[in-house]
Amino acid sequence: MIAVLGLVVGVVAGLLVRPEVPAAVEPYLPIAVVAALDAVFGGFRAMLDGIFDDKVFVVSFLSNVVVAALIVFLGDKLGVGAQLSTGVVVVLGIRIFSNAAAIRRHVFRA
Amino acid sequence: MSEQDDERERGPEQPGGPEHGGAREQGAPGRAGGGRPKAAPPAARAGGLRKELPEEVPGEARAGGKTGAEAGAAHPAGQAGDRRESGSAAAPELTGRQRLINGLWPPRVTRAQLIVALLLFGLGFGLAVQVASNSETDSALRGARQEDLVRILDELDDRTQRLEDEKQGLEKQRDELENSSDQAEEARRQTIEKERQLGVLAGTVAAQGPGITMTIEDTKGTVEADMLLDAIQELRAAGAEAIQVNGVRVVAGTYLADSGNGVSVDGNKINAPYRFKVIGKPQDLEPALNIPGGVVQTLEKEQATVAVERSTKIVVDALRAAKRPDYARSSSQ
Repeated sequence: MIAVLGLVVGVVAGLLVRPEVPAAVEPYLPIAVVAALDAVFGGFRAMLDGIFDDKVFVVSFLSNVVVAALIVFLGDKLGVGAQLSTGVVVVLGIRIFSNAAAIRRHVFRA
Repeated sequence: MSEQDDERERGPEQPGGPEHGGAREQGAPGRAGGGRPKAAPPAARAGGLRKELPEEVPGEARAGGKTGAEAGAAHPAGQAGDRRESGSAAAPELTGRQRLINGLWPPRVTRAQLIVALLLFGLGFGLAVQVASNSETDSALRGARQEDLVRILDELDDRTQRLEDEKQGLEKQRDELENSSDQAEEARRQTIEKERQLGVLAGTVAAQGPGITMTIEDTKGTVEADMLLDAIQELRAAGAEAIQVNGVRVVAGTYLADSGNGVSVDGNKINAPYRFKVIGKPQDLEPALNIPGGVVQTLEKEQATVAVERSTKIVVDALRAAKRPDYARSSSQ
């Protein structure tokens, strides 16, 4: 419950504050958000599985974000940033879908 | 109930050591694959469905003695009862739905909840910021990557260049059209002007301007065609531009002949008095007629009376039909 409240408060704060995104992190924010979404879905599934561990969640959340941003950064340096970010989004999207399928089975038994 | 099943049954209820949780937390591939050896025996027992329902089915299937598909359709109340029975052997096992409800209500302030709330706060914040910055209409290019921006700029440059070329071509075409229409208009205007000038000479159009009127009264019938021809020659020599005699236009091809007591001009018989209407410079025409031994004196010697009168406006309105020459052709372009 507290976690859901945290998400809601974060969205509201982001909409209200509307901070200026620094130019340096601007290309990485969308990818980082997608990676964090993947970690959150994984954590949610783990919670439904009863194997949730907050330490693992924190590590996977942060490492997902960092690795995704790193891949995009590396892609930018290599000149294939657009393609790599597309690939990252595709992979994370597949994972989100598979996690969402497991969550769906838990919650709706279907 | 085998030893392995007991082991597996307790598995999810374990507090979740770092290695244990880590293998499951890494995402779907690790979970579905060999990252969890303990899941192998149940998977073998329930067949292909086991793989699709990795966590939920084993407990239910074992407790109720059903296959995964039957367990999925089973009533939750019955499952709860089964679980309570099995709970005697191990800690009570919860379904995912119950875990979700337990997690949501009542709210418990634990370390895990606070940490997850903090991370989710960050996620929601980033999400909202990204959505807000992405939906700002005036900065559609803000989030674009450098290479994309360069590409867009190049495309815009190319497009600008193409449009500029097109504009130049169209302007050139417009100038050409304007010039050609101007030229055509000018040529048409010149043609009309030339037609008028030539028409005055050929007698096909009426003419007006300053000039003189000469009237020859011939009561004795002594005036002959050659005298009139002399008068016409004299007028032409003095710069007459358009001449008519008694309603007959005098042009380059005009001939005069005696005809009874009158004169025939181009076949038109005219009688005295002969009235000349001449357009030209009056100051030249009148003296040319009045010079000593000239036309006027010669005529007066023949008992004719001649009256010459200057006028600022003479209208020569006798016309000749334009006749296409039978033999002569223009040799110029």
